[in-house]
Amino acid sequence: MTCTDVQQALPDLIDGSEDAEFQSHLKSCPLCAELVADLNLIVGEARELAESEEPPARVWVQISNQLRSEGIIRDTETVPGRPVLVPAPARRWNAWWLAPVAAAVIAAGAYQLIPRKTAAEPPQVAQQQAGHVAQPDANQQATQGPEVAHPPQGTQSAATAKPSGQLAQDRASAPASNPAQSAAGHPQLAGNARIEREISPPPSAEDQRFLTQVSERTPGMRTTYESQLRAVNGEISETQLYIQRHPGDQDARQHLLEVYQQKTMLYQMALDHIQ
Amino acid sequence: MPHLNRVAAGKGDLTDPKQRISEAEAIERAKQGDEAAFEILYQLHKRRVYSLCLRMVSNPSQAEDLAQEAFLQLFRKIGTFRGESAFSTWLHRMTVNVVLMQLRKKGLPSVSLEETLESDDEAPRKEFGADDVKLSGAIERMQLKRAIDKLPPGYKTVFVLHDVEGFEHNEIAQIVGCSIGNSKSQLHKARLKLRDYLKSMRAEKAKTG
Repeated sequence: MTCTDVQQALPDLIDGSEDAEFQSHLKSCPLCAELVADLNLIVGEARELAESEEPPARVWVQISNQLRSEGIIRDTETVPGRPVLVPAPARRWNAWWLAPVAAAVIAAGAYQLIPRKTAAEPPQVAQQQAGHVAQPDANQQATQGPEVAHPPQGTQSAATAKPSGQLAQDRASAPASNPAQSAAGHPQLAGNARIEREISPPPSAEDQRFLTQVSERTPGMRTTYESQLRAVNGEISETQLYIQRHPGDQDARQHLLEVYQQKTMLYQMALDHIQ
Repeated sequence: MPHLNRVAAGKGDLTDPKQRISEAEAIERAKQGDEAAFEILYQLHKRRVYSLCLRMVSNPSQAEDLAQEAFLQLFRKIGTFRGESAFSTWLHRMTVNVVLMQLRKKGLPSVSLEETLESDDEAPRKEFGADDVKLSGAIERMQLKRAIDKLPPGYKTVFVLHDVEGFEHNEIAQIVGCSIGNSKSQLHKARLKLRDYLKSMRAEKAKTG
């Protein structure tokens, strides 16, 4: 089998073929072997993309609103066996601290757009902006919010992030289905796998406070917001890691800003629900 | 939750993570209009649906609309689901149809794969392994996503359906209306093109640092 034969037969042979001539040629031809290895690597990485994206929380909100307007979702009283939730007298709840935190998130994201030659420094802009936040009214019954809205955890160096998150678990547990992907044979892959396990940081203090407030006010939405936060924080960390390796990539910086904006919208949605 | 008095009745609150129910039970409750059941089904499948839409159209806003439409179509028809096939398969196919219909409305050539066939001059380079830039070892996910976004619509459709979503060539042929041979050929060309894109990106990064 010649290289030309291999190229013509590749569409039929590449996906797990055990054709003896094909395998024999790969053993003797480094160019063809490299091509096949590259293509298998692309295929293997592509599989990881199947569930790699998290839709914004507003998608479910819009779906449920539409289903309700069409009468497909019915009132709880008409559905047999549904529990009845009896809210206690509403206590005064104040989410005043959410707005400046959301502003700090945007500022941190905008700071990332500034090209720098060194690794990202702590966003002083966000801290200064948050420092101008109005202090709480002492008569309010609200849970005390943050005195200064620090940048979210996603802006910290990925090297300090602890391994957590469904994304990291998925990547760590994904079996190597092709020798080209075996971490044993590719140290850089093993390194990437380790980095992947570190890119889903735990929720920051602000995120935790946010989730606590969501739980108290709209308990049914906590799981949704928690998973949304996990996904967006993971995306922030992954993008920051990428920017550290490719500081001149403006597209990546723009993407990071967009992800920060997504996080801000998440906070804003909660604010809209609460107020 | 401390400030809510919950009167438990019937089968309990589906949004309580401690209440474990199967997808089949969620489907049955959704048929009765139970919002929590709909949400459970949405949470189970949202990433798969949205990822497919985003890979196909490369536009987050458009992908949101398509994902929303796919779920709406599914939930409107949930009363007709009899369990002959897996629910995820049903949803998967519906999502692909929603996306392809959108692409057809826009007049993009992904509808007919024959339109994406390139001349030999335009086909991916037939020489391989000649570059100094090596690809083997690792591919950054973001670079792969961007490379997929750059693919011509026909290549992208087959690549996403086969390599990302796991459809077989006979299924792709049925979905998009082409031959199995054509599907295999387009897939191979898509992979070669992606390899070229990824090598170019790597070479560019090496230059700029």
